[in-house]
Amino acid sequence: MPRHIVRLLVLMVAFVAVAYGAKRYFTVDSFYEYGHYRGGSVADIASDKPKYKGNANCQPCHAEVFAQWSAGIHNSVDVGKAVKCEVCHGPAGGRDSLGMFVNAATGPDHPNNLKLAIPTDSRQLCTLCHEKMTGRPAQQRQIVVADHAADQQCTLCHNAHSPRLGLVSAASAAPAPPRGDAEQGKAKAEVCAACHGPEGVSVDLPGPTLAGQRADYIVASIKAYAGGARDNPVMSPVAQTLESADADDLAAHFSGLKCESSLAAAPPKPAAICVTCHGANGQSTILAAPNLLGQSKDYLTATIAAYKDGTRKNDMMAGVVKNLSDADAETAAAYYVGASCKRD
Amino acid sequence: MSDKTKPETPELERRAFLSCLGGALACGAAAAATGVVATEATAAAPATAAGPQPPAIPGYDWTQHRWAFGVDATKCIGCLRCVEACKIENNVPEDAHHFRTWVERYVTLEGEETARIDSQADPVNIAASGSESAYRFADRYKDQKVAKAFFVPKLCNHCTHPACVQVCPTGATYKTEDGAVLIDHTYCIGCQYCVQACPYGARFFNEARNVTEKCTWCYHRITKGLLPACVEVCPVGARVFGDRNDKDSAISKFLRDNQVQVLKRETGNAPNVFYVGIDKDVI
Repeated sequence: MPRHIVRLLVLMVAFVAVAYGAKRYFTVDSFYEYGHYRGGSVADIASDKPKYKGNANCQPCHAEVFAQWSAGIHNSVDVGKAVKCEVCHGPAGGRDSLGMFVNAATGPDHPNNLKLAIPTDSRQLCTLCHEKMTGRPAQQRQIVVADHAADQQCTLCHNAHSPRLGLVSAASAAPAPPRGDAEQGKAKAEVCAACHGPEGVSVDLPGPTLAGQRADYIVASIKAYAGGARDNPVMSPVAQTLESADADDLAAHFSGLKCESSLAAAPPKPAAICVTCHGANGQSTILAAPNLLGQSKDYLTATIAAYKDGTRKNDMMAGVVKNLSDADAETAAAYYVGASCKRD
Repeated sequence: MSDKTKPETPELERRAFLSCLGGALACGAAAAATGVVATEATAAAPATAAGPQPPAIPGYDWTQHRWAFGVDATKCIGCLRCVEACKIENNVPEDAHHFRTWVERYVTLEGEETARIDSQADPVNIAASGSESAYRFADRYKDQKVAKAFFVPKLCNHCTHPACVQVCPTGATYKTEDGAVLIDHTYCIGCQYCVQACPYGARFFNEARNVTEKCTWCYHRITKGLLPACVEVCPVGARVFGDRNDKDSAISKFLRDNQVQVLKRETGNAPNVFYVGIDKDVI
């Protein structure tokens, strides 16, 4: 065989050997293990640390609020809806401080070295899902934010964990038994009769009806007058003379007087907003709201006006009455006047 | 080639040369076979017997699963919690240009025949959220008469015949046994052929790392028995994920109970993300 052909053949064999060797040397072992890719990369990718840890991670430490959530509308598993803890509070596993990709087993975890956010701006957060929006399906509860809440925070009226509940859970809405003594209260109440009526029922008198009012609300009101949170030229000096025990006794007395609602009609539209807290029959449904039954129309409209112009201060009421026109206020008041005290 | 390797008249120089050359080529081919094919053969040989050991993922055997994803557009409220969760879970750059999953809104106004499409990356929606790293739709159509409107969550379709895998020159992207299409970032050279090959726009290029990124169905979560982050946080159950091998899984039920469709069926990629409640405008 001619020498130049032999050289050519040797060269070719050498090339093949070098190419083969290089390929073996530079290709990782797991390449072609499962296909045309590095088999080891599958386990690499799978080894990343999950950041969203799920509700089960929250329950052990936050049992009370978790129970509230699981009983509420934000956990409607039957219709396939559940706003889980981490949707609002963020993930319980830390995002890696190094940033992109290097996320194998780094980053802090709640509760160690990672505090979860307690959202402060509920208007911003809740409206992500509940703002009226083109494209949002009809079954989703939606509000026109400006009409519904003006500039109030959602959490003023809604319990974020169970939005259909008032701020106080339904269980505590039943009034606590009055602490004072009703008999003593009756004796002390003589001075009240001038304005609040002899049996606590005010008819054409300047004070509101007290019969059947929640004891805790009466105590709170007296304290508010005494402390200056509420101001009335007649009531404030009277309240300042009362001891704490006196207030309890008076509350026990007045709350024990019979005053039942005779109201059965459906509330008109402007009053519908009141019903949520003050009840359809004037009997309040949440701890923070007083009963309205037995009040005069003048008293109710004056109170709404006072909330509106800011002379009486309450964050929740301020938001509620803000969008109530004078005519609407009249209608709402007229509705609750129907709930007069029914006496035996 | 074989007939040339039978030299009958060795005194003929040309024939001798050809035979030598033929022999050399045969040798070369054999050597190449041991080099390239043999590795495949050694890998394939145990496959016929017991199969290669599945990837070393604790407590997980990828031959036991066949993952699939469902999207119910009739439930989606466009809250974009999925988009935010995905960004956090997967360390996706926090801006309006890089998304592994995103939500589109299709709005057909009265009198118009085609839908107007916007996503959370639209400037109007960025303005509504106040930041590129916060996600919120703006109610931009509230003063117009809307005939039809709905949201459609989008993500990588993890196709059965993925075009992106076909074009990758380095074997950096591949389809796993259990159905996910993944990217090996150590092998990605950033050529972006796959970004162009994907008919769904599901891949993006990460300029900071010089690699392509995409949805992995949260492979690091599903191999630990968790749901993908977007499914985990969806408050209305618009996203469904599960194992088609399990007849009782959420996705099996979803596929059984609904008339589903896939995106761009005509491309032949055979997606594994199934949609309910979308119409002709959705591409």
